[in-house]
Amino acid sequence: MVLVLAIGDLHIPHRAADLPPKFKSMLVPGKIQHIICTGNLCIKEVHDYLKSLCPDLHITRGEFDEESHYPETKTLTIGQFKLGICHGHQVIPWGDLDSLAMLQRQLDVDILVTGHTHQFKAYKHEGGVVINPGSATGAYSSFTYDVNPSFVLMDIDGLRVVVYVYELIDGEVKVDKIDFKKTATTR
Amino acid sequence: MVKKKVPDWLNSSLWSTTAPSANDPPLSRSSEDLSTPTAAPVPVTPPKPQVKDHKESRTSGISNTVNRSNNNNNGNNCNSNVAPTDDNGGSSAGPSPEDISRQAQLLTELSRKVINMRELRRIASQGIPDGAGIRSTVWKLLLGYLPPDRSIWSTELAKKRSQYKNFKDELLMNPSEITRRLEKSTVCDNDEPKSESVGMLSRSEITHGEHPLSLGKTSIWNQFFQDSEIIEQIDRDVKRTHPDMHFFSGDSPLAKSNQDALRNILIVFAKLNQGIRYVQGMNEILAPLFYVFKNDPDEEMTAGAEADTFFCFVELLSGFRDHFCQQLDNSVVGIRSTITKLSLLLKQNDEELWRHLEITTKVNPQFYAFRWITLLLTQEFNFADSLHIWDTLLSDPEGPQETLLRICCAMLILIRRRILAGDFTSILKLLQNYPPTNISHLLYVANKLRSQPSD
Repeated sequence: MVLVLAIGDLHIPHRAADLPPKFKSMLVPGKIQHIICTGNLCIKEVHDYLKSLCPDLHITRGEFDEESHYPETKTLTIGQFKLGICHGHQVIPWGDLDSLAMLQRQLDVDILVTGHTHQFKAYKHEGGVVINPGSATGAYSSFTYDVNPSFVLMDIDGLRVVVYVYELIDGEVKVDKIDFKKTATTR
Repeated sequence: MVKKKVPDWLNSSLWSTTAPSANDPPLSRSSEDLSTPTAAPVPVTPPKPQVKDHKESRTSGISNTVNRSNNNNNGNNCNSNVAPTDDNGGSSAGPSPEDISRQAQLLTELSRKVINMRELRRIASQGIPDGAGIRSTVWKLLLGYLPPDRSIWSTELAKKRSQYKNFKDELLMNPSEITRRLEKSTVCDNDEPKSESVGMLSRSEITHGEHPLSLGKTSIWNQFFQDSEIIEQIDRDVKRTHPDMHFFSGDSPLAKSNQDALRNILIVFAKLNQGIRYVQGMNEILAPLFYVFKNDPDEEMTAGAEADTFFCFVELLSGFRDHFCQQLDNSVVGIRSTITKLSLLLKQNDEELWRHLEITTKVNPQFYAFRWITLLLTQEFNFADSLHIWDTLLSDPEGPQETLLRICCAMLILIRRRILAGDFTSILKLLQNYPPTNISHLLYVANKLRSQPSD
C-alpha cells in the first residue's frame, strides 16, 4: 500500500498565491510515501514545502520553473509499476493523447504523469495510462481561465492502482476514484 | 534493638547468598554452582540447556524445600541421595526423585477427566518440570484458558483460535484492503469489463467518503495513520525483546516468524483495548508466555500458539492492567499504591531492613520495585529462572498480585546483609542488578512470608 501524490502546475507566486486552504489542510506529512511533481512550481519555497510533506520528491522541469536544473523527464519504479514524469510543454500538440502515448512508449513506463494543460485527465491506451493531475492551485493556463484546482493521489497495491482525484469545485473538495489493474504480462 | 521484629529464622545464615555456611554444604555448593551456569545456557534457546540450569537449581533447592513439601519422608531420603549426585555437577545426574514424583503427579492430575484445580495449583506451586509440554498445559489451565473439564478442550481451543483469527482479519488489514472489501460488498465484482483497451478512464464515486487524505474521525484511513505510531512503537519493542535468545532475535526465519507473532498479538491487543493501547514493557510480559506455548512438543498446540498466547496474555494482564495506565499512577489501584504495599509488607516482616532502606539511605522503592512489579520480574532473572518464578506466580491461590509482592519482599530479605552494609548508591546498584540467586530458595522464603502473622 504505497501512497503517491501527483501534483503540479502550481505557478506560485506568478499566477496563484498558494494552494487552496482545503487542500492544504489535507496534505499533512507522514501519510504520503512519494511525491511526483510535473513542474511549474515555480519557486524554491514551494519545493521546500513539498519536501516537508514527504522527503521522496521527484520533479521535472516546467517552462516557468526558476530552478533550471530539474530534469526534462524522469522515470521511477514504485512497487510493480514504472512511472514516468514529464511536464508536457515539450510534447506538441499540447495535451494531445497520441503524442503523449508516443512519449510513454519512449520512456517505457506503465503510468505517465504529465501536466501543462491544467486539466485533469486519465486516459488509457495500449501502452499504458496517462494521468494529468491538473493544477493544484487552479492557476490559469495558456488555453483557459476556468480551471478547477485538482491533484491526484495514487494508492499502489501490488498490481492494482486506485487513483483518487481531488478536485475543488465551487469551494468544496470532491473526491473520485479510478481503479485499474496492470495486466500481469510485463512488456 | 529493633531485633524483636526480625524473626529468628531470618537471622540464620541460610539466607545469605554470599557467605557460604559450614553447616549446609549442598546450599553453599549450589550457590557457587549456580553462578557459572546461569550465564551460559541463556543464549541457546532449545529447552535442553534450560533444563540443565533448572535441574541444578532444583536439586540444590531440595534441602530447603524439605519442610514445605508434603512428602516429608521422601524429602529426608532425597537429601541424602541428592548430595552425592550434586557432586557430579548436576547435569549428568538424572532428574531427582522429587522432580520425577512432581512430574508424575502433574501428569496424573492432567490426565484426569476433570482436573482438580486446587490440587494442580498445589503441585504447580512447587515448580513445573520442563519437559513434555507440561508447563504449557498447566499455565493454560491456571490462566483459565483451558477449562478443567478435559472433554471440552478441543471445542474450546477451536472456538478461541477462530476468534483470534477473526480479530486478526478485522484489525490487521491495511485500508487499501479494507476499501477493496467494502467495494466487493457494495458493487459486484466487475473488474473484467472495466479493462477497455483505449479511452478515457471512467471515474467512479468513492465509497463512504473514504479517501487516503480523509481527516474524518471515523475514516479508516485516518485511524490507520493514527495507529501507525503505536504500531511503530510495538515494532521497535518486539525487535528488542530478548536479544540474546535465538528464539526471539536474529535473522533466522524462526525468529522472524516469532517476532511477527508477538507483533500481531500486541497490535490486536492495542486495537481492542483503546483505553490502555500499548505500553512499553508489555512485550516483556508476552515473551515468556509465547515461548512456553510455542515450545510445546504437541504439534497441534504449537500451531495455535499465537492465539493461545493472546488470550492468556489478556488474562494475565487483566490483573496488572492498572499498573500500565499512567492516569491511575496515584490512585488506589495504580503502581504507586502497589509499591507502597510492598513497602508495608517489608516493614511488617523486616523492620530493620525497611528502616535502613526508607529512612537511613532514603532509597525510594520506586527506583527498583517499579520494574520488578510492572514486568513481573522478567528482567531481574535469567529466562529459565523467570519461568520458574512464573510457575509459582500463576499457581498461587492468593493470586499473582499478592504472590508477586511476597516474592519481591523475599528478594529484599535475601540480600539484607548486603543492603544493610550499603549506602544509597551501592544499594541501588545492587537492587537494579539483582544478583543471581537460588530460585527455589527465594520462593521458599516468599512462601514463608505468607505464614507470618501480620502485625
